[in-house]
Amino acid sequence: MQHMFSGKEGEVEVTLSKEGEAFVLEGHRTEMMRDGRMRVSFSDGTSHLAHVAKVGDVWWVHLNGQTFRWERIEPGSASNTNDGGLVAPMPGKVLEVLVSVGQEVEAGEALMVLEAMKMEHRIVATTDGVVSALHFNAGDQVVQGAALLELEESN
Amino acid sequence: MANRGEIACRILRACSEAGHPTVAICASNDASSLFTELADEVVQLEGDTIATTYLDQEQIINAALQTGATAIHPGFGFLSERAEFARAVSQAGLVWIGPSPDAIDNMGDKMTARQTMRTAGVPVIPGEEVEEADEALSLAALKAASQRVGYPLLLKASSGGGGKGMRAVHDPADFEQAAAGARREAVAAFGDGRIYIERLLAGSKHVEIQILADQHGRTVHLGERECSVQRRHQKVFEEAPGPTMTPALREAMGQAAVAAAKAVDYVGAGTVEFLLAPTGEFFFLEMNTRIQVEHPVTELVTGVDIVREQLRIAQGEPMSCGELLIRGHAIEVRLYAEDAANGFLPSIGPLAVFRPPEGPGIRLDTGVREGDEVTPNYDPMLAKLIVWAPSREEALQKMRRALDEFVVLGTTTNIRFLRELCDAPAVISGQTTTTTIDDLWPNGWSPQHTQAHEDASLLVAAAAETLGLHRRSQFSGTSSDEAAPSPFNTLQRRYP
Repeated sequence: MQHMFSGKEGEVEVTLSKEGEAFVLEGHRTEMMRDGRMRVSFSDGTSHLAHVAKVGDVWWVHLNGQTFRWERIEPGSASNTNDGGLVAPMPGKVLEVLVSVGQEVEAGEALMVLEAMKMEHRIVATTDGVVSALHFNAGDQVVQGAALLELEESN
Repeated sequence: MANRGEIACRILRACSEAGHPTVAICASNDASSLFTELADEVVQLEGDTIATTYLDQEQIINAALQTGATAIHPGFGFLSERAEFARAVSQAGLVWIGPSPDAIDNMGDKMTARQTMRTAGVPVIPGEEVEEADEALSLAALKAASQRVGYPLLLKASSGGGGKGMRAVHDPADFEQAAAGARREAVAAFGDGRIYIERLLAGSKHVEIQILADQHGRTVHLGERECSVQRRHQKVFEEAPGPTMTPALREAMGQAAVAAAKAVDYVGAGTVEFLLAPTGEFFFLEMNTRIQVEHPVTELVTGVDIVREQLRIAQGEPMSCGELLIRGHAIEVRLYAEDAANGFLPSIGPLAVFRPPEGPGIRLDTGVREGDEVTPNYDPMLAKLIVWAPSREEALQKMRRALDEFVVLGTTTNIRFLRELCDAPAVISGQTTTTTIDDLWPNGWSPQHTQAHEDASLLVAAAAETLGLHRRSQFSGTSSDEAAPSPFNTLQRRYP
């Protein structure tokens, strides 16, 4: 049983083995309970109940007070890595565009100011580079994940 | 009930306990929210922005008159500190559950409040007010004032609250950008760009005093709450009593708070906020002329139901609470839909699983339930988790346990952040200040996961995918009937 997931640290391939009703990985075991939760037995002998839910392609797992997100990648689908576009972290309104196309910027420099949930949020350059495209003007509404502008990394 | 969400639930329940029939108002996107279920009647407002719904004074007063309501409770936020709304409510022949419009005006404008407190002999933070309304002139006047006040300093909106229109400035080079940003945020949020400057008192605690005043001339304080632990100038961890408080200091601050309330002929529940400097000196910050988010910690240690007292006072009855008696320790944390590992950015999504902790000494004030959707339309606070225990140490232990038990899936929350906060040495010792979070995580917080937990969570996700758990029900883990096939064929079901 092979699955591909994408997590905080990037993509990871998982191969599960099965022992009776239990699934096994790295010495940890899990088994489904009647109510849909998963009983997890760690390799060190401790045991906890996990809550799981899938929202869209993402599996949310709550285990021992910690919450994890694993996005499942369908076999054969192209991985969706970030191509340098800066995206809106949440829906909101563009308050101010602080740069223009062709402008050189340094990592950490403020590029745009967004207003969302009555707070101002700054969109900052992730690397040194040149602004190659602007997709919104001040006053525009943006949806979550919208590409705001493009930054060409300088070498 | 001229509010929504968690605080509407809190107040509607109190009204129901007191035997008062209730009317809720709601925007169309709140038509199935929890608070609407707790009211006897619901009026759906027309309009699709906050300005045309929860801030539409005329529509709200009309809803009250049409349904035969006799009083309006504003909760917190929205119209709760708008004097002209309080005035309009009274003029419509309705009872305003809160202080007089003049008291709101006096305290609501932070610059006027500072002047009133100076006159009443209550110490205020060194600083300067700039009354100039014109943008260019006010920025110039602020710049000049900043040099007299000295650095580091705080810029605050005169109509401000909740950290909006507030900026800390440590370096004179950053002043202009910060002042322009504070002004812009203040204009957007409050329609008033006036800004004042306060000396930033490093290493201070935020300590506030709850007061109650009835219409029979009695004004009392209910002791302090410490709310030093803040992120983005918004409180996330609050407790009562203050971990470093002494009876003598409580008495002095309590008397100052009562004097502040009396200076504006205050009636109802209110909170006088102070900054407690490392020297032991305290300074008036501002007065909130409404019920406060963190009121439950005071309720748990004093045994006073503050909302019920508000209702009694508004009816013209004397307040029912007796001598101040503080028992045990209470802590509240605010659960936000936000990504603490990414600058505390608000997050959205479905509450696919929402399972609060249970057990003795645990109180949950929330306006959401499992299956709800967190949207960007309103404040991202999901719930307040409050614990009570005989001692502070036990209260912290209970909070850790409660946070570990709290399951929210589908939307990123700050639960893990709050849980790790409970392990911070400054929090354990009670030596918290308004910069504790920045001091603990100067480069931002990220969760401390062990490799074993990472691996096991990946195992769970992969096993759940293999088992097709998501196909059993839309949100797996919530429906035990579907997960467990029955050997019987149920043809019909009757529930008592």
